[in-house]
Amino acid sequence: MYHALLTNRYLTSRVIPLIAVAAVALCVALVIIVVSVMTGFLNMVRDSGRTLMGDVVISYPVTGIPHYERLIDRIEELPEAEAATPVVDSWGLLKMPYPDGANKDTETVQIWGIDPESFAKVTGYADTLYWRPPTEQQLKTMADDDPRRQMDEQVLLDGLALRDSRSDRAGIVPGIHVSVGNDRQSDGSIRPARNGYWWMPQWEVTLTTLPIATGGGLLEPESRIFPVVNEFFSGVFLIDDKRAMVPLEIAQRMLHLDQGEIVDEEQLDDDGLPKVIGVDPAKATMVLVRAADGVEPDELREQLVGVYDAFRAELLQDNNAFVKPPPQGMGLSIKTWEQQQADFIEPIEKERELMRTLFSLVYLVCAGLVLAIFWAIVYEKTRDIGILRSIGASRFGISWIFLRYGLVIGIAGALVGVGLAYLVVRNINTIHSAMGDPPMWLAIIMLALALVAIALTVYHGRRGALMPITLGLLVSITLIGAGAVILILKDRGGVVIWDPSVYYFTTIPNEMDSGTAIFTMIGAVIFSLIGAFLPAAKAADTDPVRALHYE
Amino acid sequence: MHKTYRLGRVDVPVLKGATLHVKPGEWVAILGPSGSGKSTLLHLLGDLDQPDADGGEVRFDGRSLASMSRRARNLYRNRSIGFVFQFYHLLPELNVLENTLLPALVGLHRWNYYRRIGQLRKRATQLLESFGLGHRLKHRPRELSGGERQRVAIARALMNNPKVLLADEPTGNLDEATGAEILDLIVQQHRDGLTIVMVTHDPAIAERADRVVHLHDGRIAE
Repeated sequence: MYHALLTNRYLTSRVIPLIAVAAVALCVALVIIVVSVMTGFLNMVRDSGRTLMGDVVISYPVTGIPHYERLIDRIEELPEAEAATPVVDSWGLLKMPYPDGANKDTETVQIWGIDPESFAKVTGYADTLYWRPPTEQQLKTMADDDPRRQMDEQVLLDGLALRDSRSDRAGIVPGIHVSVGNDRQSDGSIRPARNGYWWMPQWEVTLTTLPIATGGGLLEPESRIFPVVNEFFSGVFLIDDKRAMVPLEIAQRMLHLDQGEIVDEEQLDDDGLPKVIGVDPAKATMVLVRAADGVEPDELREQLVGVYDAFRAELLQDNNAFVKPPPQGMGLSIKTWEQQQADFIEPIEKERELMRTLFSLVYLVCAGLVLAIFWAIVYEKTRDIGILRSIGASRFGISWIFLRYGLVIGIAGALVGVGLAYLVVRNINTIHSAMGDPPMWLAIIMLALALVAIALTVYHGRRGALMPITLGLLVSITLIGAGAVILILKDRGGVVIWDPSVYYFTTIPNEMDSGTAIFTMIGAVIFSLIGAFLPAAKAADTDPVRALHYE
Repeated sequence: MHKTYRLGRVDVPVLKGATLHVKPGEWVAILGPSGSGKSTLLHLLGDLDQPDADGGEVRFDGRSLASMSRRARNLYRNRSIGFVFQFYHLLPELNVLENTLLPALVGLHRWNYYRRIGQLRKRATQLLESFGLGHRLKHRPRELSGGERQRVAIARALMNNPKVLLADEPTGNLDEATGAEILDLIVQQHRDGLTIVMVTHDPAIAERADRVVHLHDGRIAE
């Protein structure tokens, strides 16, 4: 039982073990923070897929899938599918209402023609609409000047229906960052520029599309004025910055994907016009499908492959259907959202594993630190080892003191590290905002503390001892440096590391990866113990007679 | 017993056939000049070191230490003997009471700790009080005088009621008056029946022992 007493006293009576604990804690925190942010990023990418596109996407770009309603009917009969919705996907130019004057800005946007009702069933569209009356819960934390406090229900309803109720016209819902007038605040909320003057739902925009002919050539551009009815905020910057939603039938019309007649110009009808020989049905470039609860996207995808083949076979035999759906593989793809984004997700997964491996080298740092510190402690405690041997302590008993010491440092370091990582990860957006706009008070505190440190250095150093002077100077310079960095950052407008245009999301993931946390903790403890083995063995081998004469 | 140390490439024989018998309850003083091997002899008796191969043996209660298991020898150092050193050798991080308790803690099994710790604390406190250190229980060694430290060291040596006290110049680092106090304490223990083997180079101290042996050139002479 003397081990516990001695370990406790060796730990609490000197600074070195605290440095070891701090070093292990920093190593652990480093690994957990890096891997948590990367895991969080991957999770956000995956989750956003479901929010934005449902679980499985059947797509045939440009010319689209004909008779998609029949496909959707078949899909919705599947027990694995919850809902399906058609989408027309293309690119267009959006003439914005700003700036004042005749020359308006034009943005390139990805146009999504959607059927709002079924689209909301497949994706999280309803939740992404930004302008809406706040809930009771939101009101508690919402800033006083947040314009959403003044919102009425109609703006949300108009967004959901993609229709302007005042003018009874089809409306458009662009992403929140399409308009440069929307400023994102540090709390994540949006303030339209000029005190709400550029609040988009009170303006109109002009959308211009370039329809493509069946043969591949460009047709005449189509333009249409839309009232903005709401804006959506999915959190994925690349989407919020580029996409705009319009009603499906209008998008189909503007892109010439709507229903038309097929004529034979060689034959004339009774009126002398080319004879109508069939109907060219409306088309959708994508059908998004949501899996039923508990159904994996891969499972649903397999079912959809069969459904599509059956749908195509049915139409191939239908003599009334002049336009047949394309076979799979010929530009038509049926993929889960993750498969569709594989080129994007897989490199991130690989990078995360690489980071995990590289940062795992910090375990060796843990082991090295503990080894170096314990080696020094064993030297310092050589005489104690001799004394303990003289009163009957066994060699194993002596080594156990140091192993136990390593264990305690590993566990303490791991726990402190996890705590530190948790605090950093949970508050990572606040920390990042502070770096973007460093608070002045922090600089003042740093510089004031530096003055105190200088005063203490002068006071304690007046006898000429080097230790207080060195320590005091070190602390003073660090504090002055930190204060100066804050002032420089302030002067230059701060640093933005997490640039949403690079990292896709407007906020940094702030969920701690508990699996990594547990593994890192166990790793730190094991490697601290490994670091303690060598000094412990050395302690056990110490010759008690020499140890007693050791000075 | 024979004991040779190797210093670099040179063998230095320290003990060259020293033989010593100590009877139970006897106080033997080993007198000799510096470097004569007195401390080495004491270390061999206390199992801190071993004689050369074929260099004799230490027998305790008729049993050779060399024939004992490691565990039995740890127990021998813990229970049967008590060491007192010239430089006290207290653990600086522990207070007076903890230093005294240490041999008991070393010998105490984990399962018996909570059952016996109260009783052991009581014994250590009584020992220290009888040595006039009742007011110093929570003090660290650096807060004590040399005499007080040596009294703590003796209390520690006696904590497990050993049969033999091995004392290596116990007054060598103390002034005359303090040294006399420490010696009185040892005399008292001897009167209570403790066997003592004491190494000294001071004939005046050696005179108080039952028997004085001289260690000269690695051999014992009565």
